[in-house]
Amino acid sequence: MTTDATGFATAKSPLGTDAGAVLADIAGMLRELLEEYGLDDAEITRETTFHEDLELESIDLVALSGTLREHYGNRVNFAEFVADLELDQIIELTVGQLVDHVVASLRATEAS
Amino acid sequence: MKIRTGDITTHVQRLDAQVSGEEQGEPPVVVFVHGLLTDSLASYYFTLGPSFAAAGIDVIMYDLRGHGRSERPETGYQIECFVDDLVALLDALGERRRVHLVGNSFGGTVAAGAAAWYPERIASLTLIEAEPPVPRWTEHMANGLALAKEQLVHEEVIDWIKDNRGAHTARLSRHAGRILNSTTLADEVWSGRVIDDDLSAITCPVLAIFGDESGLVAQVPLFESMLERSRVVVLPEQGHSVLVERTKETRELVLEWIREHDLTEAAT
Repeated sequence: MTTDATGFATAKSPLGTDAGAVLADIAGMLRELLEEYGLDDAEITRETTFHEDLELESIDLVALSGTLREHYGNRVNFAEFVADLELDQIIELTVGQLVDHVVASLRATEAS
Repeated sequence: MKIRTGDITTHVQRLDAQVSGEEQGEPPVVVFVHGLLTDSLASYYFTLGPSFAAAGIDVIMYDLRGHGRSERPETGYQIECFVDDLVALLDALGERRRVHLVGNSFGGTVAAGAAAWYPERIASLTLIEAEPPVPRWTEHMANGLALAKEQLVHEEVIDWIKDNRGAHTARLSRHAGRILNSTTLADEVWSGRVIDDDLSAITCPVLAIFGDESGLVAQVPLFESMLERSRVVVLPEQGHSVLVERTKETRELVLEWIREHDLTEAAT
C-alpha cells in the first residue's frame, strides 16, 4: 500500500491502541459473528455482555479469539486471558473487559 | 480452522507446544474430546488447552459432529461415527505420533472407543467422569437421551431450569433440545458398536478421574481390577463437573500422567 499525500495510510498504522478504536474493531468482529446467526442489528457497548446480551456461547468466544489473533497477531492472547477467569466470570464477561485486555496487551508490546 | 474428516467438516483448534531450546525430539501430542449436547471444544480452549501448550505439549481440540462449529448431519451418530471422525481428523492433520487422548464425560466414551478400536494410534487414555462404550453405558444413554429429547422442547421445562439452575444453563438446555430434535442422535448414539464389560479391549495405560458424588464413581473397582496399567483418582466432595469445578487438579494430574507416558522418543 502506498501512502498518499494526505498521509492517511500512515496515520492509520500502527493499529490504534486507544480504547475507542479497539471497541470499534471488536464491535465489527462481533457483528460479523452475529450475522452468522442472522442478527445484524445488535447494539454493542462496553457494558454489553457476551452471554446474556448477545447470546453468544463459549464456542463463539473461541471464534472471536481466532479473529482477534488474525487482527492483532500474537500480541493479544485471548485464550490465556479467559483461562485465568472462573466460569462465572466468563459468563459475565463484558465487551469493555475484552477491550481493556486488548488495549493493555497492545500497550505492553509497544512499551517493550 | 475447519477441516474435512470423512463425510463431515470438523472445526479444529490447535495450540503448538512452547518448547525451550534445550529439549530434543518431537513434543508429545494431546487430543481433547468434549462432552455431549451442551459442550464444545471451548471447555478445553478456556481451561486446559493453553497450559498444556505452555508445558511443551502439542494440543489438538475439536468439536464433535453435531456440536459447536462442526457440521451437524441429520443422521450418523453411533459411537463409531464419533470415533472414526477422531481418527479421520488425525489423518487429515497428518498426525503420525501416538496421541494422548483426554475425554470428558461422553468425550471419554469416544476416546475409550478409539483406544479399543485403533490401539496403534493411542499412547494413553484419560477419562474424566466418563464410561467406556460398554453394554451398560448404552442403557444409561438410551434412557437419559429419550427423556431429554422429550422434555427439552417444552418452554415450561426450560423456564423451570432457568428459575432453578440459571439463565445460562437454560439456554444450553434449549440448545441441547434443538440438537436432539433435529438429528437422530438420541436414537443412535447408544445403538452402535460396544466393547466387553471387562474393558479387555483397552490395552493402553488409562488414567480415570471421578468425583466421589457422581454415579460414575461406581466404576472404580472395575478400573482398579481389570486394567493393569491404570490409575484411578477420586476427588472428594465433587460431582460430575470435574473439568469445570476442579480444573487445576485435573490439569496437574493429566500433565503428570502424560509426562510419565510420553512414548514419542520410544516410538519407532
